[in-house]
Amino acid sequence: MKAKKRVVTAGPQTPTRRTPTVRRVKSAIVPAVRRPASAPSGRACDAGAPPPLGSVARPSVDLAVDLGRGLVLANPLVAASGPFGYGVEVADAVDLGRIGALVTRGTTVRARAGASPPRMAPTPSGIVHALGYQNPGVDAVIARHEPTWGSWSVPVVVNVCGESAGEIVEVVRRLEGLAGVAAVELNLGCPNAARGGSPFTVDPDAAASLVAAVRRTWDRCLIAKLSPGAADIRSVARAAVSAGADAISAIGGVAALAVGGPGSGAVLTGPAIRPIALRVVYEIVGAVGVPVVAYGGVAALDHVLDFLAVGAVAVGVGTAALAEPALPVRLAGELEDVVAARGLASYRDLVGIARR
Amino acid sequence: MTTLLAEAELVESHAILPGQWIGSFHAPHVASGARAGQFVHLRDPDPTTELLRRSVPLNTADPSTGIVTLQVRSGAIGRLRAGDRVGLVGPFGRPFEIDPRSRHLLLIATGLGIAALRMLADEAVRDGRQVTLLFGAPAARDVYPSSLLPDEVEYAVATADGSLGHHGPVTDLVPAYEAWADQAFAAGPTPLLAQLARHAAGRRERMGVANLGRKRGGGRPEPAGSTSARRKAFLQVALDQPVGCAAATCLGCAVLGAGGVPLRTCREGPVFAAGELDWDAVS
Repeated sequence: MKAKKRVVTAGPQTPTRRTPTVRRVKSAIVPAVRRPASAPSGRACDAGAPPPLGSVARPSVDLAVDLGRGLVLANPLVAASGPFGYGVEVADAVDLGRIGALVTRGTTVRARAGASPPRMAPTPSGIVHALGYQNPGVDAVIARHEPTWGSWSVPVVVNVCGESAGEIVEVVRRLEGLAGVAAVELNLGCPNAARGGSPFTVDPDAAASLVAAVRRTWDRCLIAKLSPGAADIRSVARAAVSAGADAISAIGGVAALAVGGPGSGAVLTGPAIRPIALRVVYEIVGAVGVPVVAYGGVAALDHVLDFLAVGAVAVGVGTAALAEPALPVRLAGELEDVVAARGLASYRDLVGIARR
Repeated sequence: MTTLLAEAELVESHAILPGQWIGSFHAPHVASGARAGQFVHLRDPDPTTELLRRSVPLNTADPSTGIVTLQVRSGAIGRLRAGDRVGLVGPFGRPFEIDPRSRHLLLIATGLGIAALRMLADEAVRDGRQVTLLFGAPAARDVYPSSLLPDEVEYAVATADGSLGHHGPVTDLVPAYEAWADQAFAAGPTPLLAQLARHAAGRRERMGVANLGRKRGGGRPEPAGSTSARRKAFLQVALDQPVGCAAATCLGCAVLGAGGVPLRTCREGPVFAAGELDWDAVS
């Protein structure tokens, strides 16, 4: 048998099985998922209509939350910036109509190739990563994805990055007036070239001038995303709000390092930073009167309830979604069950209970 | 799309080397259509030790029984018992491509890299090709057991302490086989792959060999990264990068291609033709 096999030349024996080629890849990106007819026809953010509930929400349970300027989320579970790309990549794996909002990958004026590998280093309960803001640039993002976003019921929040206030303002200017963009989230964790690469989020003055500059060109909901590192995060949050931010989100990744891992600009995310995030969110909520969206290692319903308890009105899921992309959908369902089981009219009865 | 919550049951597992196991999982959704070089995403049962799923190359896949075997390092996965269920999705990425005209295949691996090449050796032997495997390890106790390889494979070993085979790095063995080989396939740490890629880049000039696939005096070159271009490449490598989402979304596994274009290990890789990557940026 063996000898017989060996005489046959390699050619005709080559397996002709289908190979997963790039073509298969493209098909996963293209389709725009139409929401079922039960989803509200108008976009959640641009109508003064009553808050839309998810298709599975029971009428007795109110999960809606207003982040300002008419951006109303159907529920407080948010897909945080990063793991969900621009949404289209995960649209067939995640029922986006059942999350409160989708925050896109960080987007810059020009296309960026991103950081050299390695970009990630797993650590206990977290990952250290530096992606270098890889993205195709705001114009390409608009051309490719904005029409799709416009057909979704979930509000899409574009996360905006740049190395200077001018770059960030330019990105926002190009997003102006687009129906598919419900809000922008300014990543104040970006290095500010004007201050030697020190991020906006550690300096109340830099944060305020950036937010004010964006405010002049953007009349829809404006969310300022803060990261830890400032001597007093409360002063940064106050500065951002007085400059015109409608809401604050926190925290972005914590500056970190892994030997042999990613290079400069690396941050730690995942469950390891959750206690830090809880503290930062607690302080911000105490300092400002605007809605606060909490990020930081959320992987289970208990974590969502903790962030609500310290005063956040919405909670994002980031790193944990890498292993379970539909996690925010599942947590939204679990939150609804808890609210119903406790006989509460609204999940807002759970907000801030640890502050009283 | 494959469900991202798919699970597989561990049928059996046995230690093959200190700190390394081969586990057999019943995963028909993975086994059907899987090819050498592709990987699966394995979820650690204890997410506090490993938050991300772990990318593990397919060791073998048998579509008829639905059994896939994986070679894994210690960790919670190494402590699994038969009957335990674990999150296992895949296969992901693009496979090795053997040129139909290649008769002599040179496989080069160190450590766990062998896991990515084992299935390729099986396929090549089944197709009647001659296969030589060069394996590098720190010491004799870390050398992959030859009993786990097909009998037809010629096996050469290099150890850093000289306790078995050649005394030195595995790359010392490459020149002796370079002229014999029609194609080479490598897996292991990125610095090793970079060294092999730089060595292979000058091979045509050293050997004076014809470029496969240019029979009729040239013609249009294949687009870089295409399956046909990879099939004609002398050296293909399987990169070992942590993979975040495996859905081509998070960009955490991206490496830089020769033109400065980011390439995702989970989608355009993990197998690349050596010439596709910018090795100065990768290693």
